[in-house]
Amino acid sequence: MTRTIFTALLGALVLALVPGGARADAAAGEETFKGNGCMDCHYTDGPAKEKTIDDQLAKKGPELWYAGSKFQQEWLQAWLAKPEPIRPMAYNSLTEKNPADHPALSGDDVANVTEFLMGLTSDAVEAGKVKPKKNPKGRLIFTKKMPCSGCHQYESKKGLTGGLMGPTLVGAGTRLNPDWILAYLMQPEVFKPVKMMPVFVGILREKDMQNVAAYVANFK
Amino acid sequence: MTRLKAIAALIACLGFVAAGPAAAEVDAEKVYKFYCAQCHGLEGKGDGPNVYKDFPVSPRNFTNAAEMDKLSDADMRNVIRDGGPSVSKSPMMPPWGKTISDEEVDALVGHLRKLCACEGKKG
Ligand code: HEC
Ligand code: HEC
Ligand code: HEC
Repeated sequence: MTRTIFTALLGALVLALVPGGARADAAAGEETFKGNGCMDCHYTDGPAKEKTIDDQLAKKGPELWYAGSKFQQEWLQAWLAKPEPIRPMAYNSLTEKNPADHPALSGDDVANVTEFLMGLTSDAVEAGKVKPKKNPKGRLIFTKKMPCSGCHQYESKKGLTGGLMGPTLVGAGTRLNPDWILAYLMQPEVFKPVKMMPVFVGILREKDMQNVAAYVANFK
Repeated sequence: MTRLKAIAALIACLGFVAAGPAAAEVDAEKVYKFYCAQCHGLEGKGDGPNVYKDFPVSPRNFTNAAEMDKLSDADMRNVIRDGGPSVSKSPMMPPWGKTISDEEVDALVGHLRKLCACEGKKG
């Protein structure tokens, strides 16, 4: 008798702890997103709303309306359950370090919100254009010809290096969709009309953008 | 009385006209803080948060009048628009010509002159 109760309790506990036991549900994820204050800092309806520097500085977190085109699903699911700093500095701050206090989700909410966010896509991303690889040309652009490393951390042969104002690119290979990286470089007006990163359209050719995207998409 | 009112209206009008172009004017400090301070520092000392320990070249210290005096306004405009390599300097100084407008570049040159309190080379 005690044993049956114990087994039932254990079963319930396992069900509660393992997300994805039930099938992920985007609609439930949207409710969770709206009910948990996520909207206080993130907007999920495109197109981009920022027109001026003030618009960008007024935001408390990155826009998520193209999350499904930007992120890899596995990474997103893991991050929502256990968020780790991505931007070394606090959002929009030149002086404060990232406080590493992003709210975490648990239980079914993790898979549901992942499902909801992965459904938010942008047609501006063309699939199959970028294959992650070592790419010496991309490396040359990233580390020497262009100032990318001045604002983004990455693992060089000598270890962690790079500037702090951009999101870290350590682990970009598991976090970002390679085709989105290219689309981001080629169509900044679609994804980020106002940002602290320079526009490289007209400075880097499409082929160069493809090379540097392939290089970044290969970061461990 | 009516006359006073008319004068008041006229003054209000003048105020409005004067405010028009002022509102469209570039806020150089805001533009500087957003794009440049990340490397050159909020006060222009070359110590922004991007400058990690093995940053290959120090971003120009804009408060160093002796160094800044060597640059003409045109030199500054060129390097801001086309980046370090366009004037044989480091590629770590990015090209901003596709990001910020010509008016903003001009306003930034003015702001850098304030930071260095220097006139710069003529021509
Ligand atoms: C108080 C503001 C705030 C709230 C509330 C908030 N976030 Fe965030 N979120 C941020 C900030 C700031 C970042 C950037 C964190 C970093 O770079 O480390 C972020 C990053 C993210 C990212 C990664 C985006 C990217 O471009 O790197 C996702 C996904 C995300 N949040 C989802 C959520 C969800 C889901 C919720 C609700 C449970 C939520 N956030 C609640 C501020 C917030
Ligand atoms: C002056 C600083 C600066 C330079 C130079 C720079 N970036 Fe960025 N980059 C940023 C910032 C800041 C962001 C985040 C913008 C935002 O979301 O507001 C960013 C975003 C990105 C992202 C998206 C990352 C994410 O998680 O959202 C990629 C990819 C990227 N940059 C690649 C590059 C490449 C490749 C180069 C060189 C060709 C480069 N960057 C040069 C500052 C810079
Ligand atoms: C990614 C970091 C970075 C950012 C962002 C940046 N700079 Fe620079 N800048 C540098 C570096 C590094 C140098 C020094 C280059 C050298 O001495 O080889 C420099 C040099 C300069 C110089 C002096 C050039 C010369 O001929 O001596 C000017 C002027 C300048 N920057 C203006 C700006 C302005 C204006 C902005 C913002 C729109 C800006 N910079 C943003 C890194 C940066």
